[in-house]
Order: sequence, then C-alpha cells, then structure tokens
Amino acid sequence: MRADRKTYIPLKIVIAGGFGVGKTTMVQALSEIPPLVTEEALTTASVGLDDVSAVPGKTTTTVAMDFGRISMDDLVLYLFGTPGQDRFWFMWDELARGAVGAVVLVDLRRVDDCFPAIDYFESRALPFVVAVNRFPGADAFPDDEVRDALALRTDTPIVRVDARSSTSCTTALIALVEHALARSGGDSHASTGTFATPLS
Amino acid sequence: MTPDETAGEVASSEPGRVVAVYDVNGGSTGRDSAELPMESLVSATQWTPWPGMQAEYRSILEMAGRPVSLVEIGAALQIPVGVARVLVSDLAGAGYVAVHEPEPTGDDGRPRAAVLERLLEGLRAR
Repeated sequence: MRADRKTYIPLKIVIAGGFGVGKTTMVQALSEIPPLVTEEALTTASVGLDDVSAVPGKTTTTVAMDFGRISMDDLVLYLFGTPGQDRFWFMWDELARGAVGAVVLVDLRRVDDCFPAIDYFESRALPFVVAVNRFPGADAFPDDEVRDALALRTDTPIVRVDARSSTSCTTALIALVEHALARSGGDSHASTGTFATPLS
Repeated sequence: MTPDETAGEVASSEPGRVVAVYDVNGGSTGRDSAELPMESLVSATQWTPWPGMQAEYRSILEMAGRPVSLVEIGAALQIPVGVARVLVSDLAGAGYVAVHEPEPTGDDGRPRAAVLERLLEGLRAR
C-alpha cells in the first residue's frame, strides 16, 4: 500500500430531536457506512453535570451516540445523532463545537420533545433547520403553523423529510448548509476575507 | 496549546469535554491529544508495524488505510474516543499516521464559507 499524503477535511452535522423521532433512521439513510455507535464513559470532568455518585455503587456510566459518514472527495462529513437524554448536555457541547449546524427532527404529534434542542441551538447561535418527519397527518400543518407552534425565527428553514429516504434527508442537509452559508455571510455576499486564503 | 499543558490539566479546565486522563506510555507526542475533536481523521503514512506493536495500534493502522475518524476507531475497537485519541497520538508521534484536524473556523466558530460552499456542491451532486 502507498502512503497517503493527501489532506482531508472532517466536517460534522448534528441530528437532534426528541426520543423516537427518527434520528437513528435519518443517520442510517444518509450514511455510507453501517451506522456505528460509540459509548462514551462519563469521566470526572463531567461528574458535576451527571452526578453518578447519586447512584450507590456506581462510579461511571456511559452515553451511547450513533453516527454515520458521507465522503465527498477530501471532505468527510460526519452525522451525529444526539444522545436522547437532556442530562447529557455536555455531549452536545462537544458535538456542536465547530459543527456546520444541526437538523432538528420534529414529530408534529409531539412538538414539545424538540424544544430543548431548538433552545440549545438558538442559545449557541448554531445554524439549524427544522425537519418535519412525515408521520401520518404531518402534512396537515402548513409551514407557518409549524413556525408558530415552535416559536421559530422567521429565517429558520423548515423542510419536510422522510427520515427513511436518503434523497429526502439529503435535501434537509442541503437546506442546512445553504442556511449556514447565508448566516456566515457567504453564498451571494461572500466577504472579501472569506476567500483570501486558497483552500488547497 | 503550550507543551507544558498536560492532557489532564486541559481536561480539568474544560468541564464540558469528555476526555479520559491516561498516562501515555512511549511514543508520547507534542500534540495535545485531549484537544483533538472526535471527527478528526487519521490516515496511515507507514505500514510496517514496529516490532512487538500492540494489537490496538495494528488495528488502527489497518483501519487508517483510508481516512477514518477518532470516533470510528473508538466504535470499531470498542474503546472510548478518549482512549482512541491517546493511541492515535502515539502513532502520530511515531510517524505512522497523519492526523487531519477540522479546518480552523471563522470568527463565529463555524467552518469557513469556502468549505461550506464545497460541502454544498458535494451534497447537491449526490
């Protein structure tokens, strides 16, 4: 085998939403590899946030997180499904750091479940799109009603997805990257500084 | 990151991070492994294992025949990402792998517009 001297750029997108909304399904639909699960041990650094000392005889616990990958030449995009439980916010911080943005999957029958994710990304100014998963009846609500129900900013994109469909989920990712570009001042109004350094 | 900041100190100063504090035996590197994001990519640059190379290092070397992230290595070897960080840093220090960290971000902490443009192209071509 030949030594690989090429340069690669890792990127990541967070897939968030309530329990059972289809995050794992979406990661599966998009990933070129069988989706993997990583189990992260909670260490002393996180004990303050997740007090394992409250559980007698238990000194550590783990957080399971699933993820997938899409390779595009030298760009390698990782998709991370957030751990479902709110108490694992410290994991979200690691996921959100340097991320392109997030897709918040919403089940309109249980909109309350997505509020913690929306609040989190708004408070961190992380670009996100709301992806309404097509459960039966979801199409009965137009975008402006969804926007009102979720108290979304007017510029937050809303897309409809079938979390089982790769094509459909890719549309959500495209909407997110377009939104992130618009937020960064790129796209149509690329600032002079943006392209000052050639990429390769 | 200055060389005298150890992984342990960094871990304790950043309560949000999931990093295990391990002793790095042999092949310890200048790179602060605690700072490597889990999506960082690893690619092999040398293929002949050193004599007596441990199974974990060999597995990582095999996986890194194409770029593979810390988080994938962790999942494949069933070890936490924190441990994968340390093992990869050892291999990088010994000259066996190249580590590709995420690009420096813009002022907003997000990938730069030029990278996002290329990502958009890639997704649209799918």
